[in-house]
Amino acid sequence: MSEITYQDIDNTVLASLRRPSLPYWLLITVLFLGVLIGLGCWLYQIFVGVGVGGQNSPVNWGTYLINFVFWVGIAHSGTLISAILHLFRAGWRNPIARAAETMTVFAVCIAGLFPFIHLGRVWLVYYMLPYPNQRYLWPNFQSPLVFDVVAISTYLIVSSLFWYTGLLPDLATVRDRSEGVRKKIFRILSLGWTGHHEQWRHHTRAYLFFAALATPLVISVHSVVSWDFALGIVPGWHSTIFAPYFVAGAIHSGLAMVLTLMIPLRKIFHYERFITRDVLENVAKTIVFTGLIVGYAYLLEYFIAWYSGNSVEQETFRWRAVGEYSVEFWIMIICNSLIPLLFFFKRIRRSVPWLFGISIFVNIGMWYERFVIIIGSVAHDFIPHAWGLYAPSAIEIGILLGSFSVFFFLFMLFAKHLPSVSMTELKEALLKGATHAR
Amino acid sequence: MPARRYVLGSFKGESEATLAIEALKKSSWELDRVHTPFPSHKISEALKGKKSRVGYFTLMGGIIGFLTGFALAVYTAVQWNIIVSGKPVVAWIPFLIVGFEFTILFAVFGNVVGLLTQARLPEFDTLKVYDPRFSGEYFGIVATCDEGEEQKLKDFLTNMGGEVNAFEG
Repeated sequence: MSEITYQDIDNTVLASLRRPSLPYWLLITVLFLGVLIGLGCWLYQIFVGVGVGGQNSPVNWGTYLINFVFWVGIAHSGTLISAILHLFRAGWRNPIARAAETMTVFAVCIAGLFPFIHLGRVWLVYYMLPYPNQRYLWPNFQSPLVFDVVAISTYLIVSSLFWYTGLLPDLATVRDRSEGVRKKIFRILSLGWTGHHEQWRHHTRAYLFFAALATPLVISVHSVVSWDFALGIVPGWHSTIFAPYFVAGAIHSGLAMVLTLMIPLRKIFHYERFITRDVLENVAKTIVFTGLIVGYAYLLEYFIAWYSGNSVEQETFRWRAVGEYSVEFWIMIICNSLIPLLFFFKRIRRSVPWLFGISIFVNIGMWYERFVIIIGSVAHDFIPHAWGLYAPSAIEIGILLGSFSVFFFLFMLFAKHLPSVSMTELKEALLKGATHAR
Repeated sequence: MPARRYVLGSFKGESEATLAIEALKKSSWELDRVHTPFPSHKISEALKGKKSRVGYFTLMGGIIGFLTGFALAVYTAVQWNIIVSGKPVVAWIPFLIVGFEFTILFAVFGNVVGLLTQARLPEFDTLKVYDPRFSGEYFGIVATCDEGEEQKLKDFLTNMGGEVNAFEG
């Protein structure tokens, strides 16, 4: 990055905020249609009843809960990149931190919607909140589902505040290069930030504390999500390995989504000089690491099922590999554990098409991982006469499509209205030199 | 008492700005503030600022959060004072999880309150004497002097490599 100047950084990033072109509008329109499909399906379910979904006894947790876990997982890499790698002083995360944090905020919002959708009677959602009420009912704080309400709400608030705090200096940069209404809006949004040395003194300290607090939070959030399952006595769920297994899987999927978003972003907005192949390669190396942990967890689950001597547990895991959902199981194994191993080859992890392609496979694999865990376990638990299969209905698929559409729709709006790369952090990395930034 | 004058110098590089700050601190003029486009360690070392107190707000928030989360879980549990499967009504281990999440949440609230109060945000008055380039590639130094010394201070900042381009009465 030695040939880049501060002005280059500002000019390139601010150019992304210019009036959008026709392809942008076309893409936004397509995504908005997807959002409308999802919304239409949800409204249909609200009016007709939750029975329009495919979930039924014994599989009462269907696609909605898969989507919930999937999107919470996607949210995790944003915090890994912005908080954990910040604490480790890994300079290569600077160009991608902003977009990853934004991805986190949107993904948590979408994840948070799915318990609402799954509830059916969404207008009763306030029952989950602890407040004095005429029914004399309080949420049961011994339940992992209530831990989840607390953890996900905390994660949404913390990641949004973390994102906004990091964004403040860049909002000031946009304000200083704007005119008219945009200037007025950014003047308010930037809270009058001037880069005063006193502001920086407190900002750097607060940002460090944010990172230090977000790090245990991110680990706790997906641990809590895993306990939604692990605290149930269902075979395939009741395992102490679930918390680290889920956290590693979450980061695995999140990093893949970072690649999926970053590769088109760097091409469209000409960020190639900032989001270099070295940066993408580092993400790929981290994916190899998380992929190996996830693969280890898959193997260990089989070992524990065998070693426990529990016939129900053994049958569950036998059936996963050869039963009715074996295709989904093998998609999971191949996409999450085997395909990422291709990143061991330097040529592949430095090739942008390969990086993009593998990231898509990991995204698919991680969605299917949640399918295998959530559906596979309850479909085939203790008593053979209670076994049953599940397939998502068109309404559930419509809502799934809607969730992906709303995620990309929000991200596209963000990329056109706010700096998608942190100019401040890039300048800092530039100053520290190319070796640090890499 | 003569009126104070404010002189704003803009520097292209971090090193020039750092040298100017160091020279200014040795002079009779008073350094009012520095504007930088990113947090500069060199400049903060030259300024020899104290450690931020934001952490105390964060700590207080965390302590209040833990007590709030834990108290909420205990209070709600004792409202339903029924023993189920021989399990304790006030269950310490699961309530620690609630306490932990509230610790983080309130610590972050404390952190934000600390940042806003210590950095005095929002604050729009400084923008009146400010160069928009300070959020881009320039470093700004604002120094004060007595009315009669204004030209000397301007010459000083110019000699240090700065552009003297704004004044404040």
